[in-house]
Amino acid sequence: MSKANGQTNGFNSVFSSADKRASLTDLAGHVRDGDLVAIGGGLSSREPMAVLHELIRAGRKNLTVFGSAHGIDIDLLCGAGAVSRSAESYVGFEQDFGMAPNYRRTCEAGDVVVDDTCCYTMVQQLRATIQGVPFMPIRSARGTDFIKLHPEYKTMTCPFTGEELLLVPAIEPDVAIIHAQYGDAHGNLRIEGPPVADILFAKASRKVIATVEKIVSNEELKELGGVSIPYFYVTALSEVAMGAHPTACYPFYAYDRAHTSLYFDAARKDADNFRQNYLEPYVLNVASHDDYLSRIGGDEVLNRLSSWDRNDASWQALYQEPA
Amino acid sequence: MMRNECTFGETMIHAIAQTIEDNTLAFHGFGSPLVQLALHVAKKTHAPDLVLVAGATYGINPNPPFLTPTSNDWVMDRNAEASLDIGELFDLAAAGRMDRMFLSGLQIDQWGNCNVTQLGNESLKLKLPGGGGGCNLSCDVGNVTLWTAAHRAPANNKSKRRFRLVSECDFITSLGHRSREGKRPAELGHRGGGPDWVVTDLGVFDFDDEGMMRLKYLYPDTTAEEVLENTEFKPVMPMNIETMSLPDGEVVSIIRNLDPLKIHEKELSPGDLNRTFH
Repeated sequence: MSKANGQTNGFNSVFSSADKRASLTDLAGHVRDGDLVAIGGGLSSREPMAVLHELIRAGRKNLTVFGSAHGIDIDLLCGAGAVSRSAESYVGFEQDFGMAPNYRRTCEAGDVVVDDTCCYTMVQQLRATIQGVPFMPIRSARGTDFIKLHPEYKTMTCPFTGEELLLVPAIEPDVAIIHAQYGDAHGNLRIEGPPVADILFAKASRKVIATVEKIVSNEELKELGGVSIPYFYVTALSEVAMGAHPTACYPFYAYDRAHTSLYFDAARKDADNFRQNYLEPYVLNVASHDDYLSRIGGDEVLNRLSSWDRNDASWQALYQEPA
Repeated sequence: MMRNECTFGETMIHAIAQTIEDNTLAFHGFGSPLVQLALHVAKKTHAPDLVLVAGATYGINPNPPFLTPTSNDWVMDRNAEASLDIGELFDLAAAGRMDRMFLSGLQIDQWGNCNVTQLGNESLKLKLPGGGGGCNLSCDVGNVTLWTAAHRAPANNKSKRRFRLVSECDFITSLGHRSREGKRPAELGHRGGGPDWVVTDLGVFDFDDEGMMRLKYLYPDTTAEEVLENTEFKPVMPMNIETMSLPDGEVVSIIRNLDPLKIHEKELSPGDLNRTFH
């Protein structure tokens, strides 16, 4: 990977301004062409989709994406031509819809360089950055073809035990993009449910941009259960309700399986079909996030997706095959 | 326990559950409904003190109301006793505290190496989704159960078969008992014991002392010939191959209660949906 040479620049600044609130457009402006980007969330949960749409509308290109298990977020960026290298551990739609069509297509065409990683390798590379050291050792991965794929990994003999260990270099993403349930104006973030790799991403990245379902006071944030990511890691944040749609952001809303199915059907055939039936109507020709929300069905959709907590039957109904 | 009619999917879940021991810590990955159900079956039957760690949410001992097709979902994390984060989960494995994990692949070779990264070894022919944490875990975890519901490899119209159980993986995503250079995991200094079971739609395998896949059980409706015909390498074939036991009524009802949407059937080949046993 281009920036994984163990040389991190060190963090000589903290983000201390009193009010980090920004528009979605300004938020996306922190991502530059060619950046190494760590996208938060995982699989069908808490993907920062509204920011990704904004990046696509801004025409961002040549991004390297780095992370663990992802789905529609990476597939969409690949389908929009924004990615030139993928260092994720998984990109797909699980048993729900299967392989990720745009990701596959762009990797197989050579437009996206395959630089797959593995979850613990990723964790250790982020930890190296967080701890200010050039690498971390791991025991695993030797004997697999990840060693061939990543010539930047080195082996060493442990000076204490004589065992051979694999050294994986520090990775310092340019920007972490996170969608959390709550934040305050200062930039403190509260993630509810599985944090996936978001906290590691926030601590290891040069900048953190975040969308939240709701901006509340710091007191309310603490009443809700406390801060997951302290404000000084966070560069800017924006309140964007339904900002993770069609992935889930509980307790606000569940995964939108029907919309994901629509996305998948548009993507599976070919790139032109995807552009015409998804990218243009739901991303490129969309004026704002509010415009997106009205295009996906407005309040009716939010009401349906927030019905998960009525009872188990209501929750289960959200996963029934679309009629 | 009374024997009900059971489906092939339920039998496969039962077979995977049989590889899970009580008083151990086991972790299922994501996108694997058969394995998710097997862990819940094991915990509700022969392994009540199993430490069940759910994939994607890293919740411990959750009790989901129903199975979803998405693993990182609050449904799957419901009523979990505690939760781990991603670092802690993989630290557990690296430090030798994780006893069992479950891996699969579009290619699985005779040593139990798996490929979920790409087809084509010189040039990329088909990009697969990737292995998640499987590469690391295959080296670190006590033992690994491999599974695939697509062992059967029917010939295409050019009478060519695309085998799932192959002589050699195009890419080794997760390590079995031999690296490409022929090294055993212990020689590489890995702490994990590697795969000890392979559960497929045609039978159940263990591994011999050399680390080669060995046919152990057939299902009531499969034969050794079928296994050989659908496997690119020749597995070790012992003199006596037993018939895999069937799930009892309790196991069948646990599965049906937990998976009313029949998510696990998405993993099965269309031809296996109508297989039933009595």
